[in-house]
Amino acid sequence: MANIRLEKIKPLVALGVFLVAWWVVPTTVKSFLRVNFSEFQAPAWVATSYLDDLEGFWARRSHSKVELIEAGREVARAKSLYQFNAQRKETLENEIQRLEAILNLPSRREFRYEVARVVRRDLNAWWQQIIIRKGKDYDIPEGAAVVFSGGVVGRVVEVNAFTSRVELVTSPNFRMAANFEGDERPVVYQGVVQGGLGAPIGSVRDAPQDVVASTQFPLKLVSTRLGGTFPPGLMIGRVSWLEPGSTGIFQAGQVELDTSLLGLREVAVLIPLYPIDFDSHAP
Amino acid sequence: MSGYDVHRGENPRILFFFWIVMGASLTLVLGLGWRQLVAYQKYEEIEKRQTERRVLKPGPRGDIYDRKGNLLVGNRPHYSAVVYLDDLRREFRTEYSQIIRAERERLNQIYELTPEDEREDSQLRPNYNDLQWRARQNVIQRYVDQINLVTGRDDTLSTRKIIRHFNEQLLLPLPLVEDLSADEYARLIEQVPVQSPIKVHTDTARYYPYGVAAAHTLGYVQNVNPDPDEIPDDGIKTFTFKTKLGKTGLERSFDTLLSGQTGTEIWRVDPLGFQDTLLEIETPKQGEDLIASIDIDLQLAAETALGDRTGAAVALDIHSGEVLAIASHPSYDLNDLSPFIPRATFDEINERGAWLNRTLQLSYPPGSTFKLLTAIAGMRHGTITPELEHDCQGVYRVGNRIFRCNARYGHGVVNVAASIESSCNVYFYAEGLRMGIDVISDEAKRFGLDQKTGIEVPFETSRLVVPSKAWKREQIGAGWVPGDTANTAIGQGFLLVTPLQMATVMASIARGETRTQPTLRALTNEESSRIDHGGEPIGLTPQQHAAMWEGMERVVGQDGTGRLVQIDGLRIGGKTGTADFRAHGKNVNLAWFVGFAPVDNPQIAVAVMVEGTSASERYHGGSTAGPVAKDIFLEFIQQYPERAGFAAAE
Repeated sequence: MANIRLEKIKPLVALGVFLVAWWVVPTTVKSFLRVNFSEFQAPAWVATSYLDDLEGFWARRSHSKVELIEAGREVARAKSLYQFNAQRKETLENEIQRLEAILNLPSRREFRYEVARVVRRDLNAWWQQIIIRKGKDYDIPEGAAVVFSGGVVGRVVEVNAFTSRVELVTSPNFRMAANFEGDERPVVYQGVVQGGLGAPIGSVRDAPQDVVASTQFPLKLVSTRLGGTFPPGLMIGRVSWLEPGSTGIFQAGQVELDTSLLGLREVAVLIPLYPIDFDSHAP
Repeated sequence: MSGYDVHRGENPRILFFFWIVMGASLTLVLGLGWRQLVAYQKYEEIEKRQTERRVLKPGPRGDIYDRKGNLLVGNRPHYSAVVYLDDLRREFRTEYSQIIRAERERLNQIYELTPEDEREDSQLRPNYNDLQWRARQNVIQRYVDQINLVTGRDDTLSTRKIIRHFNEQLLLPLPLVEDLSADEYARLIEQVPVQSPIKVHTDTARYYPYGVAAAHTLGYVQNVNPDPDEIPDDGIKTFTFKTKLGKTGLERSFDTLLSGQTGTEIWRVDPLGFQDTLLEIETPKQGEDLIASIDIDLQLAAETALGDRTGAAVALDIHSGEVLAIASHPSYDLNDLSPFIPRATFDEINERGAWLNRTLQLSYPPGSTFKLLTAIAGMRHGTITPELEHDCQGVYRVGNRIFRCNARYGHGVVNVAASIESSCNVYFYAEGLRMGIDVISDEAKRFGLDQKTGIEVPFETSRLVVPSKAWKREQIGAGWVPGDTANTAIGQGFLLVTPLQMATVMASIARGETRTQPTLRALTNEESSRIDHGGEPIGLTPQQHAAMWEGMERVVGQDGTGRLVQIDGLRIGGKTGTADFRAHGKNVNLAWFVGFAPVDNPQIAVAVMVEGTSASERYHGGSTAGPVAKDIFLEFIQQYPERAGFAAAE
């Protein structure tokens, strides 16, 4: 009888022993185990992503020559457009440098771009993260800004040997300084708990009272240079309404984010070329 | 049947205890019922007092606009990095146990090193209270250092401040770093993790887009603890954020209007007093806005024209009495006083004498500008007629004293208009003595020079002197002599008025009445049409009126003392004045100009006073104060061309 009872509580005892053991393990050991667990998982994720690429490659191999020729033309057209835009950008950059020199303005913060493939998405109501296929091997730093063609993607929160974890702009743990396009005053953007369906959203607060947003004329929320992480002017989302916040003078509202954020395949990590100089007003 | 049941029926001793127990139980049940069903409200209140805390958050103040809707005083974000001490409790405990261990080791070492015969057990006992505060300070300072790292600052937080916060404001956030710039705020938002106990708190501070413009009139606010009478007296412990109270200027006079509505949060707290659950919230609301009568363009023109000089300039709407511009120099930038006044700033402003509002807080002799009132008094008294002439030889003898005119060799034969134009002292010495001090004094009082104007800003001086025989006897203890009358007739001697008063006198004369009630509140058309300044018609005949007007217009004419004020196309009437005054411990000049325009349809009255700052400076009304008034008139034409008689700009 007693043996049967002991048999029943054995799993609970084992669990208890494990929990007590985990509790007494020093924090450094726990941290070491956690990091190694990520590193242990990373090759599997990376391999899966390469397999996906291979699958895509073979899928494309099955296209007819006519389709490939048409796609080639499309690419050529896109390429010429991008070449034109690149030239225009270079001209504008030179012009900006010339004007900055005339006005004696401090130069803007410069970044190196590192394009990385998304290998995994970890999306739920409480946190929203992606894993990208570049890490310490490409000198990705923690805290670096991550962007895509539609604007801000998020910030690197963990860097492993070959992968990095990115906190998405939709995540409640993501917060950044922003401003409304054409208005220099800083406001706060923060991700929120996402609903199951529908477009991703975020929240904005500390918006001055004189800012008016409506569904007819939504305001563009863009990144500001003031925070030091993101270059200025990157699109975050659109704000269709603002209402008085709890302070009685600032407004708060909802930000509609780009729907393609949750299905990204490639992103760019912005790596600062030099650290922030706090004595300078232009990070 | 149990053994007890057997005994119950048989043993009287057990029966006795049975009834005692029954009685006690019944008492308990009844007591419980009483407390739960009848007296529950009392216990609810006690429970509330023990477990609930109220946090009062003052609402932002209303804005102040000028008459054209330009923002004069607003609210700007005031960012600070704060922590709620509740979030740090675990860290406090960890730090405390580490500190205790280290301290015990240290004391043990000391104990071991002490000779055995000198050892005491008390040596091994740490000062737990001190260590607890040290632990808290260490934890908090670590967060301050984290902020310093992000912002590049070098702030520290004193133990005294921490102790005070613990004891008095436990439920409120502890400010770690205050008045963060927009850059610092943005960096903290971005670089401090969301989960960190550091929160970026956004409050409001007063913001003055025009800096020094009308600084004395707009006033500033001070952060104070709220009035205890405003805290609900229901026994719930209340924590209050500091509220802003108007200390001077319009901020003080219209404090009730501008003050925001306080918001309330009711928190349930744990046994240690830290916040647990938010039970109620009522959002604070912004106060009402105030539309001031000031026109910021005219104000800036007055401020710019005064420049670095010490003095005051006032411009009034002649009909409504609305103050269009009111400048006092030296001044200060109101933004330097927000969100608080640093000691160094206070001392620096104090040293420059800039706290004083020279438009209404200091009184000065009006000099020759007062001759307008002497002339009116004489005309009404019948001693001065438009035709009456005097031959000015440059000096006038009163008893044994020689009184001089401003023209060394005299003005020759002058009538009242010419004497106003040339500011002839001799004419007014003679006429002043003829009509006597009582007439002059009565006339000055009729124009309200012995009373405060009652404008809506505080601290208007009461040191206003319109001398009379009785006044001199009472104040100085001496008899009135003819020389006193001569001096008073030309605006010298004991006379003391403010620049604001002289502006009201000018507006009243221009309107043909004796009083003008100045106001800093923009009036609606309806209010303007119903306004009663409280005076009476001046009472001049058309001939007398014409002579006065001719004299005032000639002042700003080709040969007048105020010729520098001339503006093509605008008919200006006015009077210059130069007076001797004792200020800064020495005798200095005062330069005055009072005037109005246009003469044929008076709209704006201006009074300018410039104070000499050293005995070597020779200031004159026409050349020193006149150009300041001219700039104000020019801006008036620019802003209100139709009222100035010019065609409106296309």
